[in-house]
Amino acid sequence: MAARRFTYEIFQPTAAYYLMDARRHPEGMNPADEAVLQEKIALAKAGNPEAWGELYRDYAPAIFRFCRRAMPTREDAEDATMDIFVKVRQKLSQYDATRSFSAWLYTVAANHCWDLLRRRKLRQDLETGEVENMPLEHPDPGQLEQLVQQRTSQEIRRAMDQLPSRSRMALVLRYYSDMSYDDIADTLAVRRTFVGVVLLRARHQLREILERKSGADLAAGGAA
Amino acid sequence: MIHFDEMACLLYLEGQLDPQRAQELETHVAECAACSNLLHALQSETTLLSAALTEDSEPVPARILGEQTRRLPIWIWTLAFGAFAAFSYWVWVDGLSPFFDPLSNAGFGGTDLFTTIVFNGAFWEGWGDMMDAMQVGALILVAIVAIVWIRRRLRRNMAVAVVMSAMLLAVALPQQASAADVRRGRAVVIPAGEVIHNDLVAAGPSVRIDGTVEGDVIAFTRYLTVTGHVTGDVIGFAGVTLIDGTVDGNVRVFSQSVMLQGEIGKNLSTVSRSLNLSAKANIKGGAIALAADGDFDGKIQHDLLGLIGRGDIEGLIGGEAWVRGGSLTVASTGEIRGPATFEGPQQPEVESGAKLASPFRTEITQEVRRNRRTAARSIVRALFGYVAAVAVGVFLLLVFPGFFRATLREAESIGLPIGIGALALITGVFVWIIGVLLVFIGVGAGIAAAMAYAPVLYVAQVFVGAWLGNKIMGVAPADSNAALSAWITRLAVGLLVLRVAGFIPVLGSFVWVAVLLWGSGAVLLGFYKMSRRESLPVAA
Repeated sequence: MAARRFTYEIFQPTAAYYLMDARRHPEGMNPADEAVLQEKIALAKAGNPEAWGELYRDYAPAIFRFCRRAMPTREDAEDATMDIFVKVRQKLSQYDATRSFSAWLYTVAANHCWDLLRRRKLRQDLETGEVENMPLEHPDPGQLEQLVQQRTSQEIRRAMDQLPSRSRMALVLRYYSDMSYDDIADTLAVRRTFVGVVLLRARHQLREILERKSGADLAAGGAA
Repeated sequence: MIHFDEMACLLYLEGQLDPQRAQELETHVAECAACSNLLHALQSETTLLSAALTEDSEPVPARILGEQTRRLPIWIWTLAFGAFAAFSYWVWVDGLSPFFDPLSNAGFGGTDLFTTIVFNGAFWEGWGDMMDAMQVGALILVAIVAIVWIRRRLRRNMAVAVVMSAMLLAVALPQQASAADVRRGRAVVIPAGEVIHNDLVAAGPSVRIDGTVEGDVIAFTRYLTVTGHVTGDVIGFAGVTLIDGTVDGNVRVFSQSVMLQGEIGKNLSTVSRSLNLSAKANIKGGAIALAADGDFDGKIQHDLLGLIGRGDIEGLIGGEAWVRGGSLTVASTGEIRGPATFEGPQQPEVESGAKLASPFRTEITQEVRRNRRTAARSIVRALFGYVAAVAVGVFLLLVFPGFFRATLREAESIGLPIGIGALALITGVFVWIIGVLLVFIGVGAGIAAAMAYAPVLYVAQVFVGAWLGNKIMGVAPADSNAALSAWITRLAVGLLVLRVAGFIPVLGSFVWVAVLLWGSGAVLLGFYKMSRRESLPVAA
């Protein structure tokens, strides 16, 4: 059962992963915490301001970070965060307790941000990328591994700012919010089967930006 | 061997491949180094992406971490704007317009008098500067709003900086516009023979102009005497004004008593207790006079418009005469060449020999009917004013809850806010605005600053009302959002009590003075406390 062992290796979560996860999903994995959370939500639904305040304090930083990644500027992200919580407060009665609260929250946030971006007529770059027809060059695994090893998180974030909105949004939804393919498809209004294509396309664009940058670095180094 | 493509590998890692195909891939990867490497590389990329996205590269802003302030729904803004518009309309229709209507009805100058006064500078030329300042201010305000709302990139410190520079600019503009000769002293005297080739601004116990001023004269003094020649206007705030010389422009004075013996090239406008035009006086334009006593022995070449308690016309009115007041006498030497109208409780007395172009059109003001009408009107007015005050209170409560609470806290300690309010009214308004701004910076800026204080005086009643409401009905819950209706009720009750108390004949005016001082002091203290709090770092 070599294959099984292999799969196990890949998905072995690390301590760092748990730490990251706590940032994105403040409710944690503990069933007791979950009960407390549901209690808070029920109170907030009933109009208790303290419970709402606690919910806000627990989740606002995570939602702000989401917006910071999804929106072009910090101010946009701040405004979007405030607006999202206004919406959440209004829509709280629609929240279905069987679903994960943070997943629901991220759906609201994603829809809000995506609406904003779309309304800003960033369409030109949304519409480019005929995802279905774009042939993707098969990468050389060694080169890819090397590229990944050389890049810092900060470089990745900077490169992501240069991505078209849809690509950036897709990566944020998937790798920050852990959103399901179904939810991503709903948010971005693409067919579910194309979510993978959008994600892969986004990765390719990101690699291109990173490679261009390292090329530029090399050229600069050579000139100096 | 058939390799799996990158898409399949990604879908596999993401758990999106159907079980059968996933099984195939796993079997294949176990034997194929290339695909295994690709899978590894993609997984590393995923980890890197997740880490890059999740890492805390910058702190969460305090605005997000702080208590979430509820954004106001649009309808509240609409309501507030509507209330404000209604209030402004009411102030104009019920408060200002009736005052100006008779003036314009008199046909003074041929155009709508209010427009003449405000925009054509008939009464005060400083309007031009003030309009400039207001326009600059408004433009900058619009710019700020545009920047904040459209780009949403402006932070608070920068906004404050922009507003401050806008205010500086607004204050600086009129100053550049009027580089006048400013003189101060116990007695400002321009002796005969001296010529000032500039506007003159003079302040001191007495101002005397025997020489020539080739420009305007603006004087703040107890005794203003002009025996010389002024080519521009004379604008005076004085105890006693005597004009015995020649003024080519307009004369506009606010003075206890005004005596005119000389020649005025344009118009005369006065607000005074007594106004005396001697037989030598010759006004080439028209005259607007508000006076308790008015003696018109001289010549007014155009119209006379007067609100005069006791009027006496012994000279010439070249145009139309419209007088409202207690009594009016036209002596045998008197002459009115245009139509004449008098509004008062009795017929005007016209002596035989007086030359009138047409008989007086008289409107006898019927006391009883008028009283009933004004009573009904004042009730409507009081109701309107009450609703407006409550609306302003609710607006403050909703839009600036922090400021509202801070100010109310200050109002609790009764003595301090009353003291501060009185101090601010005396020092702030009187000394600073009139003394400094009017003389050294410009009339426009001075009036604008005085007008800026008016809202503070207006909202004073709101806080005293809220305090009173709390005293009567018990303190409302601290969370203003949760207990909004409780607060509104307390405001309404408190303001109602204040308003009713204000109607008590003598005591009422004392009540109002106390409310103004107390409330405005609390508002100023509230501002101060809020500004202190703003500067503290927001606790995370």
